[in-house]
Amino acid sequence: MTDRFLPFSLSRRRLLTATAVLAFATLVGTANFTPVQAEDSDANGGDITFLIDSLGDTWIPNNSAISSFQGHIWGHVTDKLLYVDAEGKVSPWIAERWEQNDAATEFTLHLKSGVTFSDGTALDAAAVVANLDIWYAGRKSEGINPIGLFPKTYDHAEAVDATTVKVFFNKPTLGFIPTLGYHGSILISPKTLAQPASEQADLSKTSGSGPYVVDSWKEGDFVKLVKRQDYNWGPAAVGHTGPAFLDTITYKLVSEPSLRVASVQSGQADVAYNASPQELKSLKDEGFTIATPRYLGFVNGWAVNTKLPPYDDVKVRQALQAGIDRQEIIDTVYTPDWKLATSFIQSNVPGATDHSDLLAYNPEKAETLLDEAGWVKGADGIRTKDGKPLSLTLHSNPYLATSKSVDELIAQQLGKIGWKVDIRAYDVVTFGEKVKYGGPAIPAYEVTRSFIDAGTVAGILTNANNGENWFALDDRDPKLNDLRDKIAGAGSTETRSPLLDELQTYILDQGYFIPRTQIVQRIYVQSPAVKGEVYNGVAYASYYTAKKSD
Amino acid sequence: MTLTSYSTTPGISIRKSRLRVPPTVTLSFAIVALVLAWSLAPALFTSLSPVNGFPADKLLGPSFTHWFGTDHLGRDVYTRVVYGTASSVSSALIAVVIGVVAGGIIGLLAGFFGGWVDTVLARLVDVLLAIPKFLLAVIVVTAIGFDTINAAIATGVSAVAVFARVMRSEVIKTRRATFVEASFLLGGTRAHILWRHVLPNASRSVLPLAVLHFGDSILVIASLAFLGYGDPPPASDWGLLISIGKDYLKWPWLVYAPAFVTIATVLSVNRISRWLRKTD
Amino acid sequence: MRNAYLTYAAKRLAQALVVILLTYVFTFVVVSILPGDPITNVLNNPQSGFTQEEIKEIIAAQGLDRPVLVQLWSSFSGFVTGDLGLSMRSHRPVATLIAEVLPSTLVLAASGLAVALVLAATVAYGTQFVPKRYGQGLLRGFPSLFLSVPNFVIGLVLIHFFGFQLGVFRVIEPDSVWATLFAAIALGIPISAQIAEVLIANLDNEAAQEYAAVARGRGLGQARLFAKHLLKPSSLPVVTVIALTIGELLGGSLITETVFGRTGIGSLVQRSVSTQDLPVLQAIVSLAAVVFVLVNLIADLLYPLLDPRVTLLGGPKSRADTEDGTTGVSPAVAS
Repeated sequence: MTDRFLPFSLSRRRLLTATAVLAFATLVGTANFTPVQAEDSDANGGDITFLIDSLGDTWIPNNSAISSFQGHIWGHVTDKLLYVDAEGKVSPWIAERWEQNDAATEFTLHLKSGVTFSDGTALDAAAVVANLDIWYAGRKSEGINPIGLFPKTYDHAEAVDATTVKVFFNKPTLGFIPTLGYHGSILISPKTLAQPASEQADLSKTSGSGPYVVDSWKEGDFVKLVKRQDYNWGPAAVGHTGPAFLDTITYKLVSEPSLRVASVQSGQADVAYNASPQELKSLKDEGFTIATPRYLGFVNGWAVNTKLPPYDDVKVRQALQAGIDRQEIIDTVYTPDWKLATSFIQSNVPGATDHSDLLAYNPEKAETLLDEAGWVKGADGIRTKDGKPLSLTLHSNPYLATSKSVDELIAQQLGKIGWKVDIRAYDVVTFGEKVKYGGPAIPAYEVTRSFIDAGTVAGILTNANNGENWFALDDRDPKLNDLRDKIAGAGSTETRSPLLDELQTYILDQGYFIPRTQIVQRIYVQSPAVKGEVYNGVAYASYYTAKKSD
Repeated sequence: MTLTSYSTTPGISIRKSRLRVPPTVTLSFAIVALVLAWSLAPALFTSLSPVNGFPADKLLGPSFTHWFGTDHLGRDVYTRVVYGTASSVSSALIAVVIGVVAGGIIGLLAGFFGGWVDTVLARLVDVLLAIPKFLLAVIVVTAIGFDTINAAIATGVSAVAVFARVMRSEVIKTRRATFVEASFLLGGTRAHILWRHVLPNASRSVLPLAVLHFGDSILVIASLAFLGYGDPPPASDWGLLISIGKDYLKWPWLVYAPAFVTIATVLSVNRISRWLRKTD
Repeated sequence: MRNAYLTYAAKRLAQALVVILLTYVFTFVVVSILPGDPITNVLNNPQSGFTQEEIKEIIAAQGLDRPVLVQLWSSFSGFVTGDLGLSMRSHRPVATLIAEVLPSTLVLAASGLAVALVLAATVAYGTQFVPKRYGQGLLRGFPSLFLSVPNFVIGLVLIHFFGFQLGVFRVIEPDSVWATLFAAIALGIPISAQIAEVLIANLDNEAAQEYAAVARGRGLGQARLFAKHLLKPSSLPVVTVIALTIGELLGGSLITETVFGRTGIGSLVQRSVSTQDLPVLQAIVSLAAVVFVLVNLIADLLYPLLDPRVTLLGGPKSRADTEDGTTGVSPAVAS
């Protein structure tokens, strides 16, 4: 080596060293993280900043009410006719009481009086009728969608007097009352509803009757809410009905999960939404409030396509059910805040029963079942039958951030008993296009879905009555058809509960539904200074009752 | 290196300068060789699996057992980087090949034939140039679907215009050269002249540009992966690793390890490209 | 001469219009290839609980099942008359969406360019003053390093070091002065490399010229020589490079805005891409192309007027056609 080139090579080395030093400094710095205390809290009211990963697509109320993101804002800007708490209990809110006829085709709602929207319009019977109409039908040509889960049996509604609404259905519709507490059923001023879609899409032009009103907003950036001083019609179930305590709530979009959490840690914000589960333990140790409320609905799991071989074989489905180590999923991907699935519906749903025995991890049993079904382990550890490998293609659910990690872990677990698992992860758009229940190349559809009433369950089992036919069974399983009809026809919860229990046992035993874990779709990391928030039946945090201390 | 002598005689020095390899270039070649070896035979460099980890060992810091630490599923990050190399390298190669071949043909035809062929192709190139490169890549990858090969194709498409430009001007330069004119006068066919004289001469300046674009493509594909337009798990392309790592910034080696490998590789490739240009 | 110029100008103008039209069609075709759009996308979300029949009905009501050519025509005729239509994702006017985020991107791009220029000038002029033995090589290595570091890595490092460790700026206020500065650094570093390489090459070139040697022979110090003879001629070509980096600034801002959480054109593109919001993508790509084409058109039209050496008699068809087109890293170093 000649001297001539030495200076350059030396400098290059220095350069690399410099990079390494910078990287290392950051590494060390990150490890010794010291939170900076917030200074801007105020005993009289206060302001909080809520960091959220998205502010969704549109603000047309009908199209955005059930969004995981906009739903937070709607929860503060609007009220609902009924309140549904985290245990699924229904209680009065804007509707003080209600009656129904015996056939469950006519309902009468009696409204609170003196309630107004923020634009001054009265929230009276006429306003409720306008809302019911647009929930049912939308304005499709303008791009205003109906509310998907609103009963399709709706006929019409009429205002009897200023505080009484009569609602008519063309078939028995027991689910109507719980639906009114569902996050899609938000009450919006009739003046707003009369506006064209492009005006409704401007959040600042929308008026609700909630404890907060929109102060300012910028698309894809933030929404700032200020409290409404004259609000005094909160739901009695949350223990407070007057104006909110906090002066303002700012929902600010920060798309990186680690940035949201780090901002709360350093006192730059108060709440971080959807943190990575891995970080929760250390955050808890640092004194932050971690909330992992569960919504009422199905657990996270797969609806199996019984038309697609080899999953038309009950033994293969049962082997799948026994071949998943659900505890390891919680230990690895999640934290103890996540609960083991005990059924295919969340354990907090009224009517859910414990079937842990059917969901125990038992690889020996799984291997025996596969042997019996004729799947022979080859030299590479993969089972084959008639020259075909035992394969499972998973399509990670794009609506659940941890879905891919869980899939990867399950792929490892199933790999041990001879399964060949492929994982496909599509973006939301492609997923919607390609992945459907019972689709030709979809052996297992990953479910995350909330519902308000367990009666909904019957509608997904088969294709009867426009059902969703989750397991592609059509009408092939007489036992399931029988249970479905009995549940739909049940007049009271007392007669329905044993039927629901039987249904859960049957579905899990047949391996129609393979639960993974109970779902926590919304994770909140909150500064200890904020207290008193309430989580409703769909796991949204309401800061209506919250206070912020110094 | 020892071949270098200071008492260079003019004339011979041109040949000799090709053999004179500065140490940084040697280091660059070594790094590129290592990266190529990783991509061809990853199993030689690690005995662990890039897909299956030990969940109990999740998020361990770098150590002698795990050079780059472990990730959120207890997989060895070094192993994941090594196994991800093939995809990162081959996708960058695909991008370069698309850029060179498509751009080369367009430039060659435009420069050689001139006239309306040139005009039509020039407008096509103008369209590709008018859209910012990265925006074009994003739009193309959206249209053809999100995975690493498609990201490579999109990156290649976004580079077509540059190669077409260079090729065209080189071809025009060569065409006007005396020896090509002479060949025409001697009755050489167009195809013969194109193949025998124009192409070899024009491609000389395309080679360093292609090498440079190889490094650039690694970065562009990594950027696309960072924005979420890459392969699904358990793929471990470098860009994907960085992208996954950014969700676990409390464990910074998940970002720094793959970032360091990416930077070292691109830096080496750039150095080689520069050296190629100088020795030409 | 005057007639020649008018003919030339007319020809260039026509070319520019053709390119804009083609770009529009190209974008439309590319973005329309994949079936799927924000509306269908929302309807398909199983949480919405729509049946297949309902989905079909809603899509038909929106006119999304019309033939592609009909959609292209209605979209293009709107574009020409200045009506960019409504976003399919948010249902708000596309023009409003763009106007809302444009200032933020302009600020970022301008400060990114400023950072790039300062950095490039520091490095390049530094090479003329720092002696070889005291790290001139290090300085000369900078552009190459800058080009090799992905800007999202720079961004992540800056955020964690200055945002969280040192608390220089609040990460959740990305539009504050400090946050903008760091975003501009992340955006500017890779771009500075290109400018610096051109500057260094030109400086070296000028310094090797005879007049520089003569000046040195007359005993002119390095500083005087630099200020008197090297600074101006070496800086002129930078203007051309800046024009070329406009596209890079926009492309880079796509990632920088995502990393820093800024709301700008880049993040609008990101959101529109993830939901296939055709009208917004179409408008942004087309406007970017229009800007690029217009800037080049103006440059081409001014060029013959400014530089008397350029004649139009069978001369250059355009400025762009004559340059060798080694965009990207270092046209000048290559020689």
